[in-house]
Amino acid sequence: MATAKDADRVRPALTLTKEELEVEVPEPRLNWMNQWREWGVRVRPGNKGLTLGSLNVGLYGEIPMNWPDRSRNPRGAIGVTGTPPVAIQIKDKVDLWAPCAADLYEEAIQRRWAPATDVDWKAIHPLPEDIERAICQVCTEICQYAIIDVEVITSWQHQMAYGYHEVKQFLATTTLDATRRHEAFRKRALVNGGGLGYEGPCQVSRLLLESSGGWTETVTGLILIRALFTQVMIRYLNRFAYNGVERKIYECVTQDFARLITYGVEHIKYALAHAPDKQGSILTTLAIGFRMFNRDLRDPVLREALAIVFGGGIAGARNEGMLVFYEMLDEYVQELLDACQYLRLPVSIEQLPKVFQKDQRHSAEN
Amino acid sequence: MDQQTHNGAEFELDLGWMEKQGEWNTHAEPSKNGLTLADIQVGFYADTPEESRNLSGRPRGAVPRPGSMPIGNYTVRTKSEIWLENASFLYEEALQRQWSSATDIPWDTIEPLPDDVEQAQCQMATFLTEVEFVAGDVPSRWVSKTSPDFYEARNVLMAQVMDESRHMDVFRKRALVNGGGLMRATGATAGFVGGIDLARDFTEMSSRLHLSGEGAVLTIFRMGELMAYNDAEKAIYRLCAQDEARHVAFGVMHMRYMAANAPERREEIESYLDEAEAGMLTDAANPAGQLNQTSESLSIMLGGGRKYFDEGFRKLVSIRKRQLQEYQKRVTSAGFGDRFKNGRSRLGQMMANVAN
Repeated sequence: MATAKDADRVRPALTLTKEELEVEVPEPRLNWMNQWREWGVRVRPGNKGLTLGSLNVGLYGEIPMNWPDRSRNPRGAIGVTGTPPVAIQIKDKVDLWAPCAADLYEEAIQRRWAPATDVDWKAIHPLPEDIERAICQVCTEICQYAIIDVEVITSWQHQMAYGYHEVKQFLATTTLDATRRHEAFRKRALVNGGGLGYEGPCQVSRLLLESSGGWTETVTGLILIRALFTQVMIRYLNRFAYNGVERKIYECVTQDFARLITYGVEHIKYALAHAPDKQGSILTTLAIGFRMFNRDLRDPVLREALAIVFGGGIAGARNEGMLVFYEMLDEYVQELLDACQYLRLPVSIEQLPKVFQKDQRHSAEN
Repeated sequence: MDQQTHNGAEFELDLGWMEKQGEWNTHAEPSKNGLTLADIQVGFYADTPEESRNLSGRPRGAVPRPGSMPIGNYTVRTKSEIWLENASFLYEEALQRQWSSATDIPWDTIEPLPDDVEQAQCQMATFLTEVEFVAGDVPSRWVSKTSPDFYEARNVLMAQVMDESRHMDVFRKRALVNGGGLMRATGATAGFVGGIDLARDFTEMSSRLHLSGEGAVLTIFRMGELMAYNDAEKAIYRLCAQDEARHVAFGVMHMRYMAANAPERREEIESYLDEAEAGMLTDAANPAGQLNQTSESLSIMLGGGRKYFDEGFRKLVSIRKRQLQEYQKRVTSAGFGDRFKNGRSRLGQMMANVAN
């Protein structure tokens, strides 16, 4: 064991003034010593280092179903009482928890990237103007999604109880991810002779920002509608990427989205398992969300821009490009239905607006 | 929706949006640090409005859509309320200097410490976990209220939230890695009037959080070599200091911008500084302040054990002086140095009483 004297020898000295050396030292009260709920904890690093989840041992791993404490007491510390509360609204585990949050947090940190230096921007080359305009329009809309994602999540973070710090910490990674997403797509729009495009429609964004009644309902819209759709769109953009710059961005963003979607789906699963009565509000949120999404999709801008990208230009957009767009939409719908099945949510394709139903789409559009 | 077919006929396209794009022919060029936010400040896209009318979350420079609903809950829509000149730099640096508390700290260098020193380390780690919570939550809340036209400043704040999240976890890890545990919370960040949480104005919040609060913590982290007993603790303090320096820089640069561009608010800001100074040594959020829970644990860490408490306390007094001196330099750099000459600041008196 290192002794205090040993320790003293290895620590650098601080040169004190004569006045400081003569300071009268008050008698310490030391009333904070020997004050703990559990002592003797010795978590050792594993093969992934010392992770957040590995700290959940003994009393420190007890995560209660309710956290009524409206102060910033760290979980496992002795709390203080009698202080004015802070504005915490989400105090039940069922309202925010996902068992994978701590692991996702560490993964997010390990997979960090920087658009400035991890993308080889010099490798980009001029594209035909119609394609460049289409890519810039898609970038504009993805930037707008990212801006809204940040605002949605940050408007909730401070309302979450500190007893569930794993979720709060994971969400901090998601807002930085969204910030980086905005940055990367803005850079792409401004690097290759183009510019930003036309503002996108905002009905889904409105749903997300105005969904102030519950985090689980917000997550439902944010993940099952916005994030899942964007994830599928980026996968298609990657398939039709025109250069390594775009491919790199799409690959990195896909990883970021995968974590967000995992948290969201696992949170909804946890919420449904522990509060089955939430199913009603989740289904209602989905139904409203799909109406909003339907309204956004009536706008031709994103659809046409994607079709141009997928079709290799305006001419190709009228045929192959638009068919790929609808194939992409169908793939999104399938992933949504798969997620609903995993969550045991009774959602069928017939319940969705006709534009999401391959067989009914034609009648919806005429 | 346009007429579509699945039977071989072509889809009709509108394409009207192609005429509604922002400034075209933009060629941002990567610099030696890659393609940074500073590098994409070109032409029209570099223009930040003095007053933002963007209420729908569109990216700055995109063409507004008539009829967009004002869905953004933006109370910060004036540039001087949030702006700073070096936001792009701070954000890019933050991304480059992200680190992992799981793998970048040499945890295996930690060895058992005498019980009094371990208790002091754990008490300080408990306190720092607690205060890092507020430093993450409050900037996050302000981002949701800030127009995306000021995205550079928002980006720095989002990087700060990530940094604070990592600080929370690294100090929790420190408390639980070496045979100790978490100790007693202080309540330092409760909802008191004048607290960081309750500020109604961004600059007011920033003066409390970045300038005085994090400034005081930065001085402590910079003294980390004096409090560390192994390479793991040294790495923690060094990396946290690096992050904290960016957060403090945000506050200083924002206040400098505010001083230069909103002179009508100078007196108001002086009031924030009066309040911040009044609490510098008495406020429980300063780990070197007068709260015995933190000042005594720091003294034990600095001295090398309970037996050397007096020596540690004298070092603590020296650190308090440094906190005040560094605060003075920051406020001067922000453009409010006159208060130290015209008698408004009480820093001189405080300097004389740091031992109390």
